[in-house]
Formats: sequence, structure tokens, C-alpha cells
Amino acid sequence: MSRDIHTADHHAVVPLAFITPGTEVRLASLGEEIAPHQREQLTAYGLAENRPITVLQQRPMTVILADEVELALEHGVARHVWVRR
Amino acid sequence: MSGTLSIPGTYLLVGHPNVGKSVLFHRLTGAYVNVSNYPGTTVEVTRASARFDRDAALLDTPGVLSLPSRSDDERTTVRALLNEPTRALLQVGDAKNLRRTLTLTALLAELDVPLVLALNMHDEAAARGVTIDLKALSEELGVPVEATVATDGKGIGALTRHLADARAPRRILQYDKAIDADIEQVAAAITQHCPHPVLAARGLAILFLGGDDEVAAWMRDKAGQNFAHLATLRQDARSRVEGDLPTLLARERTEAADVLAASVVSRSVKSSPLLSQRVGQAVVHPVWGLPILLAVLYFIYEFVGVFGATTLVGLLEEGLFEGVLNPAMTRLIEAIAPASWVTELLVGQYGLWTMGMTYALALILPIVTTFFLAFGVLEDSGYLPRLSVIANRLFAAIGLNGRAVLPMVLGLGCVTMATLTTRILHSPRERLITTFLLALAIPCSAQLGVVLGMLGSLSFKAVLIWALAMVGILMLTGFLASRLIPGRRIPLVTELPPMRLPIFGNVLKKTAGRLKWYLVEVIPLFLVGTFLMFSLEKLGVLPAIIRAGEPLVSGWLGLPPEASAAFVMGFLRRDFGATGLFAMSASLSPIQAVVGMITITLFIPCFASLMMMVKEQGIRTAATMVALIVPFAFLVGGLFRLALNVFW
Repeated sequence: MSRDIHTADHHAVVPLAFITPGTEVRLASLGEEIAPHQREQLTAYGLAENRPITVLQQRPMTVILADEVELALEHGVARHVWVRR
Repeated sequence: MSGTLSIPGTYLLVGHPNVGKSVLFHRLTGAYVNVSNYPGTTVEVTRASARFDRDAALLDTPGVLSLPSRSDDERTTVRALLNEPTRALLQVGDAKNLRRTLTLTALLAELDVPLVLALNMHDEAAARGVTIDLKALSEELGVPVEATVATDGKGIGALTRHLADARAPRRILQYDKAIDADIEQVAAAITQHCPHPVLAARGLAILFLGGDDEVAAWMRDKAGQNFAHLATLRQDARSRVEGDLPTLLARERTEAADVLAASVVSRSVKSSPLLSQRVGQAVVHPVWGLPILLAVLYFIYEFVGVFGATTLVGLLEEGLFEGVLNPAMTRLIEAIAPASWVTELLVGQYGLWTMGMTYALALILPIVTTFFLAFGVLEDSGYLPRLSVIANRLFAAIGLNGRAVLPMVLGLGCVTMATLTTRILHSPRERLITTFLLALAIPCSAQLGVVLGMLGSLSFKAVLIWALAMVGILMLTGFLASRLIPGRRIPLVTELPPMRLPIFGNVLKKTAGRLKWYLVEVIPLFLVGTFLMFSLEKLGVLPAIIRAGEPLVSGWLGLPPEASAAFVMGFLRRDFGATGLFAMSASLSPIQAVVGMITITLFIPCFASLMMMVKEQGIRTAATMVALIVPFAFLVGGLFRLALNVFW
């Protein structure tokens, strides 16, 4: 899934870990590098395609606001969460 | 079965973690269960009679992040669904996040059980400009929907009335045709081989295809040899889809929930972040997070270590017990006791009153009270999950992620309860490492207080050496354990609940509940321990133990021979042993005090936590841990003695 998006829309899709705090983005896909159970967990937290996400901070972890819920993701995970500006 | 009620039955409270199920449970039953502001407070089910229906029971279940179940607490909830004569489900959802709530509703609806939806924390949603058309949502789902603020009791009356009208919800999605055909095929097989008295076969089929181990185990048990047929159907379904079947099923539910939520939720224009959001962000801020953590730790030290362990203990032990109660009790017993051994048993050196009750009430009680109060405030504020963000990097070094900070910090309250809380961790490996570290290097509140009281009266340096020793040993043994125990570390993904001003009444209730539990456990054990010491002394065994332990206790640790008695007491409870050392602190040098406290902190966990380790990890693992911990404690204690004699 993530591979298709990279090829088709290379410039628009970037890892969540590289987004400047304060920016609102939309989820493009969850990379297959993330373990299946953790992908399920992220989906359960509300990270589904095209949902808006606001990045609150990147250190010491990526902290985002999705649907009025704050989530903290380790960079190892946020690097494989693909978002569109 | 569809929509019918089996009376009497059980109402099951289900929902995501940290949405207020336990507060609602308290409102609906009057029974108090521990309530906090972090996910995973409830790890076991709690049952009580419903206030609104004497024939019915209400069951509080652990929060489920999603179904099918993946973690132990989620499996507990699925077990409740499978085994209870469910009359209706009361789904509790976070009104701020309807999408997520409906994702779970989408699955529960397939179970075809009567349901009522409570959208809790409605006040927080309103503060964020989130409005939900409850009437439209109720019509779409075909079940009653009520907005609640459980902490204030708002909406509870209406919710109770709705429970009588609970109906099975409408399905809110149609799965992809091919997947749906597989679901139906499995559902037909379930109906044939292992029909459930309450839950619809279709719902069970979706859980089974989604990889729910608990549902699979139930089916294996009920279907017997025919389970092979069900397993084959699941394997075929998995091989037919492109991608991971559980993920596809979850995605379809999420998308359907998105569509439904979008049709009933409206948001006002965003204003500036709320104060709670600003505070929440400050405590995990890369610059401000650490100073705030240090300030919090300093506050706890001042409140528990100084006010509790020094001021209150001084007032109670020296003022009340040593000054008034113990002399009066001694006079009374001496006047009425029929024999001198009775006097010794009650008010002697190892007297049930002068040692057992004095230790429990004058030394330990003020310390644990102040600790539980401070801890309750932290729990309800929402700070603890944020601590997992700050501590994540540190925990990565020992093969864990920041989530393990919750059981570790809870362990500073009570290691027994913390061992149970390791269920919130996602893998058996994480649970094993955390349980081991809890047993080895995390002192419970009573022991922590004794350590702070004893070493704090010596010097700050002594406290610092002990604290650095504990952190160092925790990190070193954690590092080694993570290398030796096979498996991969799971990166941290966690929700950060809103920061809230703690409700004083809830903090007091929690503290009272914990103190009651603590005293019920501690006083009998302290009395048994004291009686044991008395008997050993009278039978002449204690001097023999002291002599036998001399090479280890005096030769290797450099402590007075009498300290052996404290280690004997430590076998019953570490804090009992630590209190024994505390009581002889006047005869210890600073180095002896530090070495003694390091050794007893690392020493065997208390009897109750040992039983919990057996329950959670099995007797073999628990025995292995104890076999490692006891010699390790003495080894480290002796090494510190050698080092401190050189560097002090």
C-alpha cells in the first residue's frame, strides 16, 4: 500500500516523523514495516486513511492530535506512518 | 435469540480504555472500584448488583483498545462476553472521539446482543467544540444513546431508564462481498458445531476470522473435533484475501465508523488550546518535561519522605507509641498477665504489640498514607501516561518501552498490585522482564518510606547512593534480561489522556480503599512475623540463625550479627525486614545502613507479591526468579560494602 503511494505521489507523501510541529496533515498509509498488531493498534486509535492529524511535537517522541485524542508514537513507528500535507 | 432478554442476567460495561467505565460502574452499583486517569486501571472484571435492578448484576470489564482481543486485559473482556449470561451491553464511549467509539460498536453490533451506548465525558467534548446529534445517532444504530458525565452523575438517571429499552443494534456496515461470504460460511459452521447461547454466530465468526485467540479457544472447547473444520475455513478465508484478513476487517469497520460519525458530529471553529492541553504538552516538552519531572519527584520526596516518614512517624512512634501507648500497655499487661512469657509475647522485644503493631501502625501507616495520597493525585491528573513518554528512551535500554513505567511506578505503591498490572503490557517478554524487575529492584511504599526515613536521617548522600544503586541495578539487570530473554522490543504507541484536576473525593476514596487493603494484609502478617521471631527466640533458634548467618551478614555485608534477624523477617515481607533494620539504626554506621538497605531492597519480594508472581507467571518462573534474587541481593550488598569502604 505505502509503496504504491510513494511511486505515484512521491513528493506529497512524507513520514510523520519529519513533519514540523504545528502542521496539520492527513494520513496516507501505515507502512508495512510496522508490525501487524501495531498497525491494528494504530487503526484502533483512529489512524485511518485520510483522517486529519495535527503534529504537536517531535521530541522526545512524536506526539499528535487525532480526533481530539493525543497519541505519542516512537520515532521508529512515526517514520513508517506516511502522511500527506 | 436476537434481541430477546434472558432475565435475570448480567449487564456488561464495555468500552475503550480510560473512557470512565469504572466511574459509571460506581454510579450504577454503588460499589467502588479503583478509578484513575490512565488506560489500564482495570485489569480484571468486577461484579456488583445493579442499583436499578436487584435481579441483575453489572460487570465492569477492562478497556479494549480494539476487538478481536490481543492483550491479556482485552482477552479478559472477551472471556466475560463469552461466559456471562449477558442481558445487555452498556458500551461506554468517549464523546470526544465518536469515530473510535463507533468502530467498536460496529463489531459489538454483529454479536446481536441488546446494547445501550453512553457517550461519556460529554463536557470535555463540548469544551473542544464537538457536538453530537444524539437523536440521529440513536436512529442510525437502532439503540438508545445517552450523553453522560459520569464523574458528575450527569445523564446517569436517563441511562438507567434506557437500559430497560436496550435492543440489539443495527449492523453499521456491509463487509466486502467476498469477505462477507467467508464470514457467513464460518458463522454457519459455528451454528452447527458450537452455537453460543447469547452471542450471534456471525459476530463470533468475525472475531474468529480476526484472529481472536480467546474465541478460538472457546470454539475448540465447544466444537471438539469439529474445530478442525472451523480452522480450515479460517485458513481458506485468509488465503483468499489479498493482504492481512484481520487488518482488512478492522479497516472496513473503521471506514464505516468514519462515515457514520461524520454524519452526526459537528465541530465549531477551533479556538486556542485549552489550559489542560497546554499543561499536557508542557509535561512532555523536550525542554520542560525533565524539570517538571524533577519537581514532581521533589514534591513526593518532601511529602512522603520528609512529612510522612519523618514528621508523622516521629509524632506517632516517639510521641504516641513510645511515649504513651507502649508504657501504658506494658503496665497493663504486666499487671494482668498470668505468666512472664505472656508479657514477653505481648510487650517484650519481639512483642505482638511493641513490635508487630508498633511497626505496622506507627512506622508504616503514616508512610503509606502519604504515599497513597500523593500517588492518587498523580494517577488522576493524567501525568503517569506522560511519564511513559519521558521514560521511553531509558526503558528502551532494558528491552521495554515507556508503557512499563506504569507498573514500575505502581510498584512503588504496592509490588503485588503492580505485578497484576503488568497485564497492560503487550508481550509475554515485556511482562516477564517487568515482573522480574519489580520483584528485584522496586521497593513498595512501606519499604520506600522506611528507606527514606532511615537514610534520610543520616544524610542526603546516603539516600542518593541508595537511589543510584537501585536505578543502576534496575538498568543493568534489565539490560541483561532483555539480552537473555528471546523476543523483540515493541516500540511505544500510547494515548495521552487529558490532564485533569484530580477530584479530592476520589483521591481520598482510593487512598482509604488501598489503606484498608494494606492494613488487612499487613497487620496479620506483621503479627505472624513477630510471633515467629518470638518463637524462634524462645526456642533458641534465632541465636542459632544469627550465628549461622554471621559469615554472610557480618563477614560479607559487614553488618552486626543481629541484622540476621531482619533478613529472617524480610522473608515474610521486605518492609518488615527493612523496619527491623530501621529499629536498630542507632547501632549502625552510615555505610552499614546503606549496605543493609540496598540488600533488603533487593531481597526476596513479600509473600503476597510472590503469590501474585506465581499466579501471573507460573510457579517455575516465580521459583527461578526467587532463586536468582536472594543470592544476587547478598552479592550486590557485599560489593557495595567493599566499594563504600573505599570511596565513602
